[in-house]
Amino acid sequence: MPAAPKLSIFEKAMLPHLDAAYNLARWLTRNEDDAQDVVQEAYLRALRFFDGFRGGDGKAWLLAVVRNTALTWLRRERPLVRMSFDEEIHSPGDAATVETKLVAGAKFAQLRDCMELLPTEFREVVVLREMEEMPYRDIAEAASLPIGTVMSRLSRARQRLQDCLAARMKETSK
Amino acid sequence: MTCAAAHSLLEPYLDGELDAAQQAQVAEHLATCGACAGMHAQLLELRAGIRQHAPYYRAPTGLQDRVRAAVRHAEGNSAGPWRWIAIAAALLLSVSAAWTVAMFRSRAAGDRIAQDVLSSHVRSLMGAHLLDVPSSDRHTVKPWFNGKLDFSPDVRDFAAQGFPLIGGRIDYVGGRPVAALVYQRRQHIIDVFTWPSAAAGGEPEGTYNGYHVLHWDFAGMAWWAVSDLNTGELRQFETLYSTPSGFSGRE
Repeated sequence: MPAAPKLSIFEKAMLPHLDAAYNLARWLTRNEDDAQDVVQEAYLRALRFFDGFRGGDGKAWLLAVVRNTALTWLRRERPLVRMSFDEEIHSPGDAATVETKLVAGAKFAQLRDCMELLPTEFREVVVLREMEEMPYRDIAEAASLPIGTVMSRLSRARQRLQDCLAARMKETSK
Repeated sequence: MTCAAAHSLLEPYLDGELDAAQQAQVAEHLATCGACAGMHAQLLELRAGIRQHAPYYRAPTGLQDRVRAAVRHAEGNSAGPWRWIAIAAALLLSVSAAWTVAMFRSRAAGDRIAQDVLSSHVRSLMGAHLLDVPSSDRHTVKPWFNGKLDFSPDVRDFAAQGFPLIGGRIDYVGGRPVAALVYQRRQHIIDVFTWPSAAAGGEPEGTYNGYHVLHWDFAGMAWWAVSDLNTGELRQFETLYSTPSGFSGRE
């Protein structure tokens, strides 16, 4: 494939998904600068593997590359903070949480925190489903998972979010 | 429909993943069952909460230009990137790498694989993508390739001989995905590319702008090693590799 047409096909197919790519990278790395680097690296990788792209709208395909790049990035840059954050949800003395004064009905203001505390494998399916509104089939492609696993992860992620919100509410109403 | 059945379908229902008949059955059940309707309401509330309170991070200003410049540069279309003076510093490294590759091209036109191998090595050292699986354990590295390639590369560690394995990655050489095994010799990185191939020929050895490329065929596989390590030691490494694994002393 000559360079110029390939490049223009690539840009037309992939650049429209830049927001989706950044949003996923941002949620996976939980850091703005890392997310930008991951997105750039992911597009370069996508370009190199673009011959393997079989058409379609390309979003799930690109997000699969973004996800792999982000996970590689996390392993490489942050090997020491790859702990599961679950325990922290219920840990006492979380000053920011305790001191946050919630107005009645603001239960969901904690959602962003709760999302960030989800283990990566749960966080990614929530982002793909609830923010990108992707069907299970596309999530399966983007996350390299069987559809059954997508369903069970999504379900467990939702349960964890509800538990986290409930725990936060209980703490703040003490 | 029983509550148990409705319960298991609740989330696919919420996500619009059921067929029309099932969708109708669940809706019917929800209309008559307070407990299931309550769970459904909670899920809807959670969804609304996420969409309202968890931020959707849009790409910051400038990222599109940055990505476009990087992509165009990588594709060899240098007309665009020069306009972004802000990224000039970051490009310096890429420019020298591109120059290396360009010099190499002029000297060995036609030897596309050697060219791919060298480009890939230089690119990986630019920080783009050295390792997908960072591990010095060949029992971690070898299985990592399963399902990602249509062959299983012979992964060996020569730590005892002073060439420790540091990991691997998938790369793209000569129009096909290949295994890249990464070794270290002091401060030098050695990339070894391998894929199944009948004896492919090509120059067995070359030196291009300080990078040495060695090529051999062994056990039905093509092997290409590239590094800035001196040729003597690189040849020593090749000798280790083209010895059947039973003789390597570390099996």
